[in-house]
Amino acid sequence: MFEHSITRREALSNILKITGGIAAAYSISFPLMPARLNAESKPTNWIIEGYGQSSGYSINALTRKMFEFAGGISTFISKGDIVVIKPNVSWAQPPHLAATTHPEVVQAVIELCQEAGAKKVRIADNTIHDARRCFSVTGVGLVAEKTGAELVDPKSSLMKEMNLKGERLNLWPVFTPIVEADKVINLPVAKVHGLSGLTLGLKNWIGAVGGRRPALHQDIHQTIVDLAGFFKPTLTLIDATRIMIANGPSGGDEKDVKTMNRLILSNDPVAADAKAAGLFNKNPLDVGFIKIAQERGMGTSDMEKLTQFQVSV
Amino acid sequence: MKIKYLIWVRRVSQVFFFCLFIYLLLGTRLPQDVYIDYTSSFSGNTDIRMNDPVDFFWRLDPLVWLTSLLSSKQWIKGFGWAVGVVAAAFFLGRFFCGFICPFGVMHHFISVFRPVLKGKDLIAANQPRPSMKIKYFLLVVILVSALAGINFSGWLDPMSVLFKSMGLAVFPALGNGLIEVITMLAQSDIKSLNYLGYGIDYLSTRIFGYQYIAYQTGFMIGAIFLLILYLNRIKPRFFCRVICPLGALLGVCSKYTILRLEQKEDSCTHCGICTKHCQGAASCEPGSIWQGSECLLCLNCQELCPENALSFRFALPHTSGSKMDLGRRYLLGGLLAGVSLPFLSKLDGKIYKVAPPDLIRPPGALSETRFLERCIRCGLCMKVCPTNAIHPAFAEAGIQGFWTPTLIMTFGYCEYSCTLCGSVCPTGAIEELTAREKIQAPIRIGSAYLERGLCLPWSGNQPCIVCEEHCPTSPKAIYFKRDVITKADGQKLDVQLPFVELPRCVGCGICENKCPVKGKPAIRVISAGESRSTENQILL
Repeated sequence: MFEHSITRREALSNILKITGGIAAAYSISFPLMPARLNAESKPTNWIIEGYGQSSGYSINALTRKMFEFAGGISTFISKGDIVVIKPNVSWAQPPHLAATTHPEVVQAVIELCQEAGAKKVRIADNTIHDARRCFSVTGVGLVAEKTGAELVDPKSSLMKEMNLKGERLNLWPVFTPIVEADKVINLPVAKVHGLSGLTLGLKNWIGAVGGRRPALHQDIHQTIVDLAGFFKPTLTLIDATRIMIANGPSGGDEKDVKTMNRLILSNDPVAADAKAAGLFNKNPLDVGFIKIAQERGMGTSDMEKLTQFQVSV
Repeated sequence: MKIKYLIWVRRVSQVFFFCLFIYLLLGTRLPQDVYIDYTSSFSGNTDIRMNDPVDFFWRLDPLVWLTSLLSSKQWIKGFGWAVGVVAAAFFLGRFFCGFICPFGVMHHFISVFRPVLKGKDLIAANQPRPSMKIKYFLLVVILVSALAGINFSGWLDPMSVLFKSMGLAVFPALGNGLIEVITMLAQSDIKSLNYLGYGIDYLSTRIFGYQYIAYQTGFMIGAIFLLILYLNRIKPRFFCRVICPLGALLGVCSKYTILRLEQKEDSCTHCGICTKHCQGAASCEPGSIWQGSECLLCLNCQELCPENALSFRFALPHTSGSKMDLGRRYLLGGLLAGVSLPFLSKLDGKIYKVAPPDLIRPPGALSETRFLERCIRCGLCMKVCPTNAIHPAFAEAGIQGFWTPTLIMTFGYCEYSCTLCGSVCPTGAIEELTAREKIQAPIRIGSAYLERGLCLPWSGNQPCIVCEEHCPTSPKAIYFKRDVITKADGQKLDVQLPFVELPRCVGCGICENKCPVKGKPAIRVISAGESRSTENQILL
């Protein structure tokens, strides 16, 4: 196939040149890098809280700084990965009403993934309101257009029945792009909910399945944990730039919204939710699904067991 | 002025307008790729709208203009084109039927492409018949009914019939079938079949949308459509000649058209080619009197006559001749039917006595009497509704409201911020709103009520909050009271019992749509409380 095949010697020397070059570059740049998590430090789970302190701070800059502290996006996303971003854009409500993930957060994460060399970044959410209206009103459609990320329509043909192997849920239609991705980043918004108390990262997986979703509410905490046990995200980034404190999960009024200027990033989905529960002045263990998820060993709500960082811009 | 290429102008024009009709029909929905920034649509006056003027063909349609003018007694804006078409008919005859009408194009194509009738049978079928007067009768019925306050035009108006047939029957049926195939392929365990499914999906969603679609009476609409098409086997362009009230209206206007067929009897050999290819059965053969009101201006006779005995020329009409008058009996019968139809159909009491609870009109709809004056049953709002909530009414609105829009919440629901239906309505039967107006007013289309025996927490079966969760108003119209229920086995069950706070409810129906009790949801919407009515109210 090739006009002249590469000899073993040539190949070896090429490999040496490349790896040596990378190693040299790395060793030079290493001291310049900010304090990072490294693989040896125990415990391995960490949580980063980002504060937007200055007025008119950039959500993008805050997100980037948090990922830098987490060890850089390339720690999580490899070249050629297919990454799925799972925001919460369930409701056709504009961003300032806090019913949906802020488009700037979505955009920042997509750009980071693209910089890490992701082959494809997809935005996937099985919305409650009509999907295309949700995409346009929440601003996530605009983000897709700006960044070139693929916005996946939650079509019935993309729902495939799978075994969730949960305590309450077994066979259930799953939104396939999410399970077929190499890496999944959960990007929920923090808000109150009439039954489960709060809608955070773990509950966001209800938007990753199809089928008779309203029926899930009959045992909401257990079904949330069943779903969260099935979908294991690489990272959870909770958008608490503004949170909905009343009339959740749909909201619809500016009076329901409280500005927090906060983002929470963790590789422990339970910890992220537990931290966010604090924003609503709730004890994490009073929230049913956090408690059950911790009991099932999916993570911890005990911040002492985590490496904690605080970042601000 | 025998110009050979005119027939090609006609053909190109027909194909163009038919394609335009289908293009606009497919565009009558939320655009597939909504990438524009609508995040400010609640605070500003911008809102999601169609990219194309999807009501174009109704703006062109003089029957829609005239009936809504007669029934509403108001000058509805945007019908300048339709007035132009009527005016032009006095000079150019029924050129609209021959050159523009997309339904006519369809009949023309079916009649000409592999016709069943040939030779002498075809010549016989193309002779003028008394049955062709039926359309004038129907026109009289529709116009008089409109004057009496109910606009029935959409039952027979070619634009509305074609739109409903294609948009609510043919395309949804094909689309549903395709989705089944795609789903089968996409869920297969064979990877290559998955990709095949995704591929077909990618192409087909652009045309058929991406969800299963249902329309009440869709079968009826489709069956009538097929029947109308089948009638072309009995005689070419049967609908245009016998039924079409728009054709009748244009026919009346073009009776004394100045673009006339000049028939040279001395050069005619009576070969019959002209009659054989005549689309309107307009007696084009020299020796008989050409009927300007029946001629569809297909120009076949002029084109095909081997002796050049026929040509269209501008000339003043002969005052004698044309006997194709609507007989006095037809006229009287039409008047009588036109007057009695609205009044008889209103006898069901749905307007005068009590508003039907299951008749939920789209947001922005006028009060029922004014709505029936304006609504032409075109089907645009039904096609455009993104949740498939708007359906052609069957019995909900009575005979007078057959095929007018009604919401069926078990199929879809009225999305809180969506105002598409009013934006496409060609006659303003549904007022155009912005999301802000709809939410702030608020525009109520009905009220939700609970049936406690069916409700999961109320019946002591399961905790459930689905209706409250989905309620889009702020503060929510559904609230809870906590209670502890002792189950059959003595186990205590903590439940939140839902209540509806009527002043907050807008009747959007998402609670009914999402209620886990399927088929007959435990929370349902009735029309009482709708903003458009002063009578149909619950609260003071």
